[in-house]
Amino acid sequence: MIIALLPLGHFLIGVLSLLWQRGARRILPFALLIDVALIGSLWSRVAGGTSVSLVLGGWGRDLGIELVADKISLGFSFLALLLTLAVTVYLWRERQRPYFYVLLHFLLASVFALVFARDLFNIYVIIEILTLVSFLLVGYERKARQIWASLNYLILAALGMAMYLFGVGIIYYHTGTLNLTLLGERIAGMQDQLWLITASTLLVVGVSIKAGVFVFSLWLPAAHASASPAVSALLSGLVIKMGVVVLFRLSTVLDISLPLIVLGGITGVVGAVYTMFTYELKRMLAFSTLSQVGYLLVGIGIGTPLAIAGSLTYGVAHGLSKGLLFLAAGQVVNTTGSAFISEQVARQEKIPRATRIALFVGTLSIIGLPPLVGFCAKGLLSAATDSLPLHLLLVFVSLGTVVAFSKLTPLLNPRYGCSDERAKAISYGILALPIFAFLPASFLFVSWIQVLSWLGPLQAGESVAIIGAGFLVYLVLRGHPVRLPQRIFRLEEAILLILAVFFATFFLLAGSV
Amino acid sequence: MKSTAIGILAILLVSAFCVLLLLTVDYHGARGGTDNPYLAAGASETGAVNLVSGIYLNYRLYDSLFELLIFSMAVLGVRFYLNAEKSTKPNVARVAESPVVRIAADLLFGPIMLIGVYLIVFGHLSPGGGFSGGAVGGTGLLLCAAALGAEVVARRFHEQIIEQIEWGILLLIILFAVAPIFFDRLPLTDLLPSGRVGKLLSGGTIPIYNGLIGIKVFIGTWVVIYSFIRHRGEI
Amino acid sequence: MDVANGVTIAVILFGVGIFALIIRRDLVIKLLALGLIDSSSVLFLVSLNAQDNGIAPIVHGPGANYVDPLPQALVISAIVINFALLALALVFVMLLVERYHTTDSLRIAQQVEREKRS
Repeated sequence: MIIALLPLGHFLIGVLSLLWQRGARRILPFALLIDVALIGSLWSRVAGGTSVSLVLGGWGRDLGIELVADKISLGFSFLALLLTLAVTVYLWRERQRPYFYVLLHFLLASVFALVFARDLFNIYVIIEILTLVSFLLVGYERKARQIWASLNYLILAALGMAMYLFGVGIIYYHTGTLNLTLLGERIAGMQDQLWLITASTLLVVGVSIKAGVFVFSLWLPAAHASASPAVSALLSGLVIKMGVVVLFRLSTVLDISLPLIVLGGITGVVGAVYTMFTYELKRMLAFSTLSQVGYLLVGIGIGTPLAIAGSLTYGVAHGLSKGLLFLAAGQVVNTTGSAFISEQVARQEKIPRATRIALFVGTLSIIGLPPLVGFCAKGLLSAATDSLPLHLLLVFVSLGTVVAFSKLTPLLNPRYGCSDERAKAISYGILALPIFAFLPASFLFVSWIQVLSWLGPLQAGESVAIIGAGFLVYLVLRGHPVRLPQRIFRLEEAILLILAVFFATFFLLAGSV
Repeated sequence: MKSTAIGILAILLVSAFCVLLLLTVDYHGARGGTDNPYLAAGASETGAVNLVSGIYLNYRLYDSLFELLIFSMAVLGVRFYLNAEKSTKPNVARVAESPVVRIAADLLFGPIMLIGVYLIVFGHLSPGGGFSGGAVGGTGLLLCAAALGAEVVARRFHEQIIEQIEWGILLLIILFAVAPIFFDRLPLTDLLPSGRVGKLLSGGTIPIYNGLIGIKVFIGTWVVIYSFIRHRGEI
Repeated sequence: MDVANGVTIAVILFGVGIFALIIRRDLVIKLLALGLIDSSSVLFLVSLNAQDNGIAPIVHGPGANYVDPLPQALVISAIVINFALLALALVFVMLLVERYHTTDSLRIAQQVEREKRS
């Protein structure tokens, strides 16, 4: 009951906000409060590891649409609420048009709907809503850069969803069902059928375009960098994770672990390299999002409960940290007027102290300093990887992240800087608090005992070593900027790359069964 | 990369892609799954003879709600972006008032609207439904605008009221879908009992949804078309 | 064989659409190609589940060879969604064309780059 109420309720409140436009801004916090209450009541039923399932309309699973709530759904709902609250507070002083708040409501409605969805076509519809809402939010300020970036995004996302629809058609033809649970039962013995491999590839490629996988999501740097900071925070922190959640749901039914690991690895490495050598603040954060998604995919691909817990925890952790970073970065760009990171820019008094501290906290969380939430998640992941090459891969990505974020050191100095708007400071606090409080609250995905047993001094030592080494590498590379190829981010090359990696994924899948 | 290289790569990759799709999927193989569950009891359960309507307005109403949301957001987005930018005075010559268009519109407008209403009302008995009926109605209005001029038609529909009606109808649709929660049933089951199969007054809640969706799509189509016309200057 | 032909045409149209999306530089043609891609996926879904002697799933009585109604319901949703996306894409193309006075995507990209640098 409540599961259906969350998305539909927000849908309803969004429409109400449109009808009563003057009250739009005030309705939002109340709606969020109601959400917290609803999620809290669901939590008590899900906490033991069981899941709550509801088929809308009371029909059987093969007739209606099923919604299932489990710990993962609620964890990401929690992330969605925090981010929306932070964004609302961040923008409290600047009066936005009611249209903006309506879009926020619809965004929340679709995020809730997606975390509970277990039906292939339902997932298609919700992903299309997410595409549309992100598209409208990115182009909100109507600058040419944003419009061009969101147009690219729309074309690629539509192409991806068309592929996804092809995959759904093939699967339905051969199995007669769209429900993921029933699908799992019906393809039980058929893992080596060619049509299943093609359909799985189509589904994975289609969703990966939205999920921030590197070779598919080449629209991401332009779109996230050109959007306004609050929107970037929401997109990088929340919407990308939704794609990863869908990939996770698919991976519980289809056998796609090998492509996920390979794609995750490539995403992580190439993303890290690009992050290291981008000197524009918001673009660098966008590339960092791409490379962190690599972590998530590798964890999902490995498939053990520990790996999945690690990667989905990191999803929430990264959402919080990246949201914080984007909000702070937006304030930096606002106060200094320049989008590039450089020494003179960093020392200016104009950058508020609160923003600097926020950047500091976000950076620490992303580079994995214990005991912040970033470390918890990365530690779990590194504990879950047994094979040496995979472990080295993750270490390399972490290293790259540290090198990249060391660039921000001049900016992080809280000695300089004036005081900040209260609203902005509060919004940083909303996101920073869970980052610190994660360890006590880590029963989100794994039980308290389990977390402590895996995050021993070995993981902590590894993290600290990586941070130290990364900083040294940064000092070495400091004077030598490298220009990386930017042509692949054009639409045409992006589509060619998508097609090429489609074949690679297909052969990976075919080879692994 | 030079454009010839892009072209060659494109031909290779795209044709390989098509070949892959055509070869690997077993199009003549046995259809999977058991007997279709919808065919078995669909008509009597939903009360609608048109099973497709029965599916997307009863079994899978959730998807249709979100699809309506997408449609509404598209209308919202089109209005938001096009109305804010006053286009520079276009150098488009006004289309000369042609008597042919006017006479044809006179003759055709009535039947078009009638067909639209028929599609909406009989959506549960024959192919059609709210979406197609609404689209037909909207296109009929476009014909009217082509004959009379868009401003004349738009003056009849006050913009604020139209907007309120459109979103009010969406509100009604959602409330209608969610209301069964408070009547002690799982959400989205039909409120009204399904009547006799095959008669006009049957189909449970499906005709109501069809009607509301039809009005909504009608208004939405007209708003989208009119926003484009107004932005450009004239048809 | 009719069914297979429908499916073949759908896949070929999909390929043509992607090819046009890559090759043609005009933004409006890109949108047309996107529309073609969407239509081809819809055609694929419907023709895949068609049957040779099937009739439309308007139930008059048991025993007739009704076609599966589910893909058709899916297709209704898919068509509306694609229409919405295309409409909004068209609006954005219009805004861009008015600002840069060209429909050439390459030139628009270069202009955007140039504006970003300055």
